[in-house]
Amino acid sequence: MKRHPRLLSLFVFITLIIFIIVPFVPLLLSSLSFGWRWPDVLPESWSFRTWEYVLNDGRTWQAVGISLWIALIVTAVNILLAIPAANALVRYPVRGRWLFEAIIFAPIIIPPFISVMGIHLTFLRLGLTETVVGVVLAHIAPTLPYMFRAVMISYQTLSVDWEDQARMLGARAVPRFFHVVLPHLLPGILAGASLSVLISLSQYLITFIIGAGQVVTLPILLFPFVSGGDPGIASAYSLLYAAIAIAALVGMDAALKRYYQLNKASQGQAKGVKP
Amino acid sequence: MSDLRIIDIEKRYGAVQPKNDASFMLRPVRLSIREGEFFSLLGPSGCGKTTLLKLVAGLLEADGGEIWIGDKNLTNVPPESRQFAMVFQQSLLFPHKNIEDNVAFGLKMQKVGKKQRLKAARDMLEHVGLSGFGSRFPDELSGGQQQRVALARALVANPRVLLMDEPFSALDPGLREEMRELLSRIQKEFRVTVLFVTHDRDEAFALSDRIAIMGEGALRQVGNARELYERPDTTTVAAFLGLRNILSGALENGRFVSSDGFLEVDGISQLADGDYFMVIRPEAIKTAESDQSGHVRIQGIVQEMKYSRGMYSLKVRAGNQLLECLFTTAQAEKTTVGEAINLLVDMKEVRFLKE
Amino acid sequence: MWRKSKPYLLLLPAAGTIILLFFGGIFDGLLKSFGYFPAIGETELTFAAYDSLLHSGSFWESMALTLRIAALSSLLSAVIGALVALALFFLNDSMKSASPKAWHRLFQLPLTIPHLVAGYIIVLLFTQSGFVSRLLAAFGWIDDITDFPVLVNDPFGWGIILTYAWKEAPFVALMLYPVLSRIHGSWREVSRVFGAGNWQFVREVVVPVMMPAWAIATFIVFVFTFSAFEVPYLLGVTYPSVLPVYSYQLYTSGTLSDRPEALAVNMILAAITILLGLVAYYFSKRWNVLKGWG
Repeated sequence: MKRHPRLLSLFVFITLIIFIIVPFVPLLLSSLSFGWRWPDVLPESWSFRTWEYVLNDGRTWQAVGISLWIALIVTAVNILLAIPAANALVRYPVRGRWLFEAIIFAPIIIPPFISVMGIHLTFLRLGLTETVVGVVLAHIAPTLPYMFRAVMISYQTLSVDWEDQARMLGARAVPRFFHVVLPHLLPGILAGASLSVLISLSQYLITFIIGAGQVVTLPILLFPFVSGGDPGIASAYSLLYAAIAIAALVGMDAALKRYYQLNKASQGQAKGVKP
Repeated sequence: MSDLRIIDIEKRYGAVQPKNDASFMLRPVRLSIREGEFFSLLGPSGCGKTTLLKLVAGLLEADGGEIWIGDKNLTNVPPESRQFAMVFQQSLLFPHKNIEDNVAFGLKMQKVGKKQRLKAARDMLEHVGLSGFGSRFPDELSGGQQQRVALARALVANPRVLLMDEPFSALDPGLREEMRELLSRIQKEFRVTVLFVTHDRDEAFALSDRIAIMGEGALRQVGNARELYERPDTTTVAAFLGLRNILSGALENGRFVSSDGFLEVDGISQLADGDYFMVIRPEAIKTAESDQSGHVRIQGIVQEMKYSRGMYSLKVRAGNQLLECLFTTAQAEKTTVGEAINLLVDMKEVRFLKE
Repeated sequence: MWRKSKPYLLLLPAAGTIILLFFGGIFDGLLKSFGYFPAIGETELTFAAYDSLLHSGSFWESMALTLRIAALSSLLSAVIGALVALALFFLNDSMKSASPKAWHRLFQLPLTIPHLVAGYIIVLLFTQSGFVSRLLAAFGWIDDITDFPVLVNDPFGWGIILTYAWKEAPFVALMLYPVLSRIHGSWREVSRVFGAGNWQFVREVVVPVMMPAWAIATFIVFVFTFSAFEVPYLLGVTYPSVLPVYSYQLYTSGTLSDRPEALAVNMILAAITILLGLVAYYFSKRWNVLKGWG
């Protein structure tokens, strides 16, 4: 083992690549193939047929739009709910803290479709099924805990001294929040937002129950294809769907980096955050 | 006149507890600080000095007492409306704002126009020797520079009182001295009232017009540096100011005898009989070349000699007591460690304390 | 008064939303699982749904399948995840100059992929005419499609297990890596001084250190796979189906009378996940694994 560390590294590296990257290969091949019979490892001929179909279909872009729109509203609502709650739990002595934490974190453990099936008929009566609003409401429970957790961690690293300093410079509650608290929470909010968007994007069942096929998000559009439709189109849709999820994540990440670069809030200053 | 008056302000642990002695974070304090005065709160950590500062700032809510400035009662005014400023131990510069915006923050909160407040910020930066740094970000500055910016930011809005909570304690010693000089100069220039918290007596002595010594949540003694050092009221104050030659003993008919019986002093007529502590400042001890009236002679053995800043600090064993004395180089050169030495104590400089 | 109630007012929107939308839904489901349907005139509470469930063979078969799939998925992810984490740890150790960030991103890739897509990837890889089967044929190891075992939409649930192994192994690795990186380089030096080889180092230092986090991560994967819907819906067979799918089949079967049974399945699922969640929470607190998870 000691004698061939380089060889060993290389071996491990290749194994990992096979584990992570290779599974995507058939997806890509299938989306670009034109007739791909067993036992050919590579398709006989190539074609952009499926991509043309997927990218030219108006439903695709509608689904992308609705998926992102729902994810964004859900995330915005989560931010508004999570900030005051995290503030309360971090900054104040709260009786029954465990109960509040248990309530807010519960949807991580209990699968949300249980709640959604239960509330389905009530939503039907209230006219919330088949609407974007209904789907947004269904997506809040599974996503809020992640946003809450991210904001709470941010709050824990913000010493009260910063707010005290702003107070001593004459800042009232509202400017204090916008000038001092929010800039500090922003990285945490962005981290929470990327999780919230990702989770909202990947909900199939609860979207299907509440949206009843009328609110067509990407997974709803994708499902008939992957469960026995044209494999080429299913592959193309799968790649598009995965790409959008990754793009959402990378986009958030880039925003975070940009934020750090623009504001030069680098390590050195971060040290002074918690005296 | 707008003196800062602190009238019986107090703070207890967990405000609902009954009024028993142990529950005080800060016993009622009464102080009056003149306009333009540099006033320090000096004490070991946990003595309640920062609590008092935060009560004055309004960042903590007092359980009793009042804060006045001039003829205005500020007790129920929230900190953001008191027009005080505060510099903390950390510079707490907002990392997402550049230096200029940081300094101008207080004026922005007062809704001063952008041009005007940035001009004021630049002027103030010049005063602290940082002109040209305005467009940089806090993390590009050294610790000392950051603290200068914090000072500029505190002063720019022309505060009624500047509160400072150990502002230099996170800096290197050399830098600390430089900052003291800067603060001293600026304080005189702007004639701002300063309430300064520190545990460093040299710092308090170097800067302050008056000093309040605090201990165990209470005010011990108030006075200027010389008064405190030369005439401490209690041995606790004396010990905190670095006076280690404290001899317990008893006074009877004008004659003080230390409890180990080693030292006897005659002719103390102005005090009543009883138990006392005798406090001898190291400067009050000289080598005995010739007998002098008004001095007491002590014999001892030199245990330790340390050189610092032009003077020798000696530890001399005399009886059970280790006496600290301060000698000039010339005096010190005549002796070495392990040698017997004759000392003279100037009785005019000696203080007898009851507690 | 305002001071004392302020934190509770700040908590109200978030907690209220979860209580209303989430626990409200569960409570709604609970009532209906007891046959309480005021809309169709049923206001009596009965245990009929639970009774018929607990006496039905298909429910218990579902339960067994669900437990088996969850157990195998979590074990497989745990093993692969630990190997990935160890590999990353030793690679980082031997390639100090290379930036580790990019890699870590790469290994989180399966985490970002939506479950449906992950499921479909497994379909393309492991159906009888899938990519793996083609590769084996190209090497001459199999001659016919039917020589390749049925791994997708199979009654055992291999496809589901493989999907979870691929998708959750990086999660396990992600939970383990920070723990491993706490093993300071100097520990390595110390163990070298005492003559420990790589393998001994792993056994004596690395494994004990990562054990608690490993157990918790595996347990979380178990709870998740126990109650997840999408992957088994796509890759399973109609009968027997895992509990969430079974519940969904009952719910959409068309007859209103099956709905209480579907909701009863849900309630049993909820009870089990709450129990498992509490166990995980208890041990993670005790072992101090999930810092910041409240």
